[in-house]
Amino acid sequence: MKRKNGYPAGKNSAGKRFLALFVLMTLLLVMALSGCGKKVEASFVKSTDDLGTAKIGVQLGTTGDIYASDYEKEGATIVKYGKGTDAIQALKQGKVDCVIIDEQPAKAYISGSPSLSILDEEFVVEEYAICISKENTELKEKINAALAEIKENGTMDKIISNYIGDSTQGKYPYESPEDVDRSNGVLNMATNAEFKPYEYIENNEITGIDVDMAQAICDVLGMELKITDMKFDSIISAVQSGKADVGVAGMTVTEDRLKSIDFTDSYTTATQVIVVRNGKSDAIADLKAKFYNNFIKDSRWQYLTYGLGTTLLISFFAVIIGIVLGFLIAIGRSTCDMTGKAKPLNMILKAYLTVIRGTPAMIQLLIIYYVVFASSDINPVLVASVAFGLNSAAYIAEIVRGGIMSIDVGQFEAGRSLGFNYTQTMRYFIMPQAFKNVLPALGNEFIVLLKETSISGYIGIRDLTRGGDIIRSNTYDPFMPLIAVAIIYLIIVVGLSSLVSRLEQKLKTDGR
Amino acid sequence: MEKNNEVMIRVEGLKKSFGDLMVLNGIDTEIHKGEVLVLLGPSGCGKSTFLRCLNLLEEPTGGKIFLDDVELTSPKTDINKQRQKMMMVFQHFNLFPHKTILENLTIGPTKLLKQSQQEADAKALDLLNRVGLQDKASAYPSQLSGGQKQRVAICRALAMDPEVILFDEPTSALDPEMVGEVLDVMKELAHSGITMICVTHEMGFAREVASRIMFLDNGVIAEEGTPAEIFGNPKNPRLRDFLSKVL
Repeated sequence: MKRKNGYPAGKNSAGKRFLALFVLMTLLLVMALSGCGKKVEASFVKSTDDLGTAKIGVQLGTTGDIYASDYEKEGATIVKYGKGTDAIQALKQGKVDCVIIDEQPAKAYISGSPSLSILDEEFVVEEYAICISKENTELKEKINAALAEIKENGTMDKIISNYIGDSTQGKYPYESPEDVDRSNGVLNMATNAEFKPYEYIENNEITGIDVDMAQAICDVLGMELKITDMKFDSIISAVQSGKADVGVAGMTVTEDRLKSIDFTDSYTTATQVIVVRNGKSDAIADLKAKFYNNFIKDSRWQYLTYGLGTTLLISFFAVIIGIVLGFLIAIGRSTCDMTGKAKPLNMILKAYLTVIRGTPAMIQLLIIYYVVFASSDINPVLVASVAFGLNSAAYIAEIVRGGIMSIDVGQFEAGRSLGFNYTQTMRYFIMPQAFKNVLPALGNEFIVLLKETSISGYIGIRDLTRGGDIIRSNTYDPFMPLIAVAIIYLIIVVGLSSLVSRLEQKLKTDGR
Repeated sequence: MEKNNEVMIRVEGLKKSFGDLMVLNGIDTEIHKGEVLVLLGPSGCGKSTFLRCLNLLEEPTGGKIFLDDVELTSPKTDINKQRQKMMMVFQHFNLFPHKTILENLTIGPTKLLKQSQQEADAKALDLLNRVGLQDKASAYPSQLSGGQKQRVAICRALAMDPEVILFDEPTSALDPEMVGEVLDVMKELAHSGITMICVTHEMGFAREVASRIMFLDNGVIAEEGTPAEIFGNPKNPRLRDFLSKVL
């Protein structure tokens, strides 16, 4: 036996001690982090005149991003965040001086944070519209007609007032008429459900003004509404590629966007506002209240359990695909190397390994989702399983090939000289020994794979990481959800490691 | 020893080269049933290569090899089937480390000869008994000494009931005090009438047990004969030179 892996194997009590240590460490970490809610000075930004020298936080790809870049020439620094919540969090912590963002989400953000204010000065008034592929003029006209109808009959106003306005909120929930004939097909809508009140997740469902409006349009058109949640900056490419028919995500018509995509008539106007720190401190709620708010209230813990299920599901299928394909590639390559035959196959396999190992997993995931399965309506969880499986196969193949190569050629000759054929020799003598040698490396690969699935959110999958994000976008508290997600990953990984070392121990006892 | 006239292996014009390096340069010989053939020669003369060509672990570059009148070198021959009649014992034993001694002995007979596990176990234990290793049946190879490993390897070959056993320097990797126990087994085997082809540096074994000695030099048979002829009256100057160095 050549190598050892890091964990003291097998011993149950050692494993428990290990786990206890981890929990203790993370608890300390949580306390340390919650303790550092130090007070940050008020922003110096008092009006648009001050933007020229400010550090401006924006959400990547939004109109706030575009407007803010106008101030870049004057000396402003633009910091782009993937989510509005992250930008707001950065503002709270003093990493940026102000955030330019849509008015309604801004209101939602500041309602939970006394330390933030919206400047009275309106920044830009803009119009939201539905984005649609340039080729799809027929659908565009139909949607425009339907939009006109729901504006005309007051449905649109009711939907908006159900979400905006203190006295009207929650009073006009939109309900589809009962006898709608939905024989005109499915309307695939792409959105980014982190944009309260236009689209957000509540009780594990995507809801908001845009969602109700899209439903109302479908009711007029006699279509079925199907919503896919994704990153905001993925929506336009999803619509372009045909992955979605329309993008409805509080999206403003801009010249840049018009180059690649078309828009329907506007359905509402919105304002971009500037959010700043006002110098007050957020009343730091005690841990218990924070915990309640993040996990208990509205059963938010369910986002984590649901996400964990998805993460495990993707990892499981990806591991299966990875192992099967990885072993096949490894055996194929070793056979080619050993016999010198089937050179073209070897070339193809080598090219595969080079491409997969030479590009980031996230890019592969996006390519497989938006390019390979572009127009087909396929379950994203399946896509992710395939993508991570294909990715993992390349690494597993090299690990296993290394294992096969590490077996003394004498073993192979002994098998062949007894009269076993190539396949039997591999099966009875080479692979069992190779497997045992590569088990620690394989276990490590599974751990990497499990953690790698945390990028699944990019194609709209609600995995564990995304579950934490959803909670964050509802509570605006980064610490608790992130730490909770980290702990869950940690527990799974530690469990997985001990499982692998137990298997290793077992294999070690039969044999040298 | 009585010479049986039945031809077991026939080699015609056997050639083998590795790239530009010519190792065997046309070997013709016949090996009879029950013969104990010892191959001698300076290192690099091609004796191991010759042995490994016989069961096609090395693919010959030219020439033909027949086992029981079946041409092994023909692509139509099922070489796996033919190899089952011709076992090999390696310098480095090559036991399967992930299997017990008993499993090492029985995997061939059960998987290839379709013997029942019981039958194979009984035979394996009997063989281990003959070499004095019956108490090691459930041990793993790593728990054995070199000499014990090689005796097990010989048993593994015998378990397949072969017609020929090829020995590729079976004692070269052993500590000196263990050479004897392996040679004893080989001597006993030679007297049992099985056909043996041995590459070895054990001159005592060659002199005592061989029915024929073949001296290879530069990829050809430089001289062959009985031990008495080879050791008593060597004609080839290279052989005389070789013997003067090893004896």
